[in-house]
Amino acid sequence: MDGGLQLASVLGVTLRVALVATVLVAPFALATGWFLARRAFPGKSVVETFVALPLVLPPTAIGYLLLVLFARSGPLGESRLGFDPGVLFTWRGAVLASAVVAFPLAARTARAAFEGVDPRLERMARSLGISPWRTWGTVTLPLAGRGLLAALALAFGRALGEFGATVIVAGNIPGRTQTLALAIFDEIQLGDERGALTFVGVACALAFVVLWSVERLARPRTAA
Amino acid sequence: MSRFEIDVDLPLGRIALAVRCTSDARALGIFGPSGAGKTSLVEALAGWRRPRAGRIALDGEVWFDAEHGIDRPAGERRVGHVPQDLLLFPHWTVERNVRAGAARGGSESTLQRAIDVLEIGSLLNQMPPTLSGGERQRVALARALASGPRVLLLDEPLAALDLSLRRRLLPYLARVREAFDVPLVLVSHDPTEILALCDECWRLEEGRLVEHGAARRVLLAAARQAGTFENVMRGRAVATPDGGARVALAPGVELAVAGLREGAGADVLIALRAEDILVATGELPAISARNVIPAVIADVRIEGEDAWVEARVADDVHVTVLLTPSAIRELSLATGSAVRLVVKAQSCRVLARS
Repeated sequence: MDGGLQLASVLGVTLRVALVATVLVAPFALATGWFLARRAFPGKSVVETFVALPLVLPPTAIGYLLLVLFARSGPLGESRLGFDPGVLFTWRGAVLASAVVAFPLAARTARAAFEGVDPRLERMARSLGISPWRTWGTVTLPLAGRGLLAALALAFGRALGEFGATVIVAGNIPGRTQTLALAIFDEIQLGDERGALTFVGVACALAFVVLWSVERLARPRTAA
Repeated sequence: MSRFEIDVDLPLGRIALAVRCTSDARALGIFGPSGAGKTSLVEALAGWRRPRAGRIALDGEVWFDAEHGIDRPAGERRVGHVPQDLLLFPHWTVERNVRAGAARGGSESTLQRAIDVLEIGSLLNQMPPTLSGGERQRVALARALASGPRVLLLDEPLAALDLSLRRRLLPYLARVREAFDVPLVLVSHDPTEILALCDECWRLEEGRLVEHGAARRVLLAAARQAGTFENVMRGRAVATPDGGARVALAPGVELAVAGLREGAGADVLIALRAEDILVATGELPAISARNVIPAVIADVRIEGEDAWVEARVADDVHVTVLLTPSAIRELSLATGSAVRLVVKAQSCRVLARS
């Protein structure tokens, strides 16, 4: 494949996978973050540890667990469900792997964002007769907004660089599941230093933009 | 007139709040030192804290009754709550903040009146973080009033402000009291605020209601007991020929008081620290102090480095003075000695006006 076309293809797959993974992870991460920030319940520390687990597990271990889960005879495989969920060795598999790996980062950042909102403001809104959902939508969410965007940007950034889980669940299929991280690995294996450096350069640029955005979002707003 | 029935039993860490009393006052002051449970009591009334036991009712409408499992949510109590930290929504304009108060069903006319009375019309498009402390205070009050509350709960509404701003905002609270027919519960550790606004006062200490009754009586006893001002004296403002104002403590005994703006006939409480009074014998040179009051020493008590002198200036007016034992010796002060008390007008504090 022509170098330019290959780069466009890899970039397209990478951005699509990272974007869909971020969208997929967003509601779960926000809900988990809010729950951990605002609710006390027995066994909370166990849940917190469980949420953080993908941060420290080797991504290959996560990939293997997903592979077992979605294998033909696995708990969520074709034999059990009666249809092919279409996860293994597809771009959807890459999305799922990236989402699982990105989830703890997003959930923990979202939790910090919700914790940054004074719960007494929510109580005041409730006191004034504002419904719980409206309070959440007009007080909690806007005040936590920047932190939540930072959480999603971090999830996007993590998904951009995902390798270990993706290669096991989705394989390394050019044009379908080959992301930047996989393409760099491919080029190194093939001994194409120039190709590898090109992909590394693009990965660095993307990472810079994402982290810069996170830093900007995470910075507290100064009063006018 | 509204009737508040309050019976609250609420654990608060090392102490437990246990208050049981009723009040028909139009304005009830909750007074006491930090940690006495004042804020917790107000939060229990607002529905922000759930008592362990007890009953809270306003005009027979039960808000909380542990025995019958009643606990009306905060939003249904129709309370205009202004907490110490105000809790203005920082991402909303002043107007949206105030209108949030009206969301519960407060009328447009009430909202407009709150804006007018508190003079915040020019602030409506501003964001709370850009406001001064006094402006934020008025906006929080307007929001509480706009909600058409059945009762206003003001928790140390002026505590975060400096003294001069507190004095400037006090008239706004008084204006609110007059303009809106809403009973008011004011938490404060400043007797001036309570005396200026409240008819009745409950004094809390370590979670217990230690005294309740007419605000003036409760606070007078508290001031004496706390020893913050060893001398708290009742008096009446009188006009002087030069157009100034003095306070008559007894027939023939008048006190010049700095900052006294009350017209003749107004009753006032004057507070004076024992260490701010000088005792003189013999002739006095020209002196800047505005008050030189003849007195007779009724008692002298030496306690270590302190010499406490009880001086009688009139039949029912006694003044406590703190001197040193050496001053007692050098001036030969003893019971029955005729002296003059020298007091700066600036040392006299107006505790209360009526």
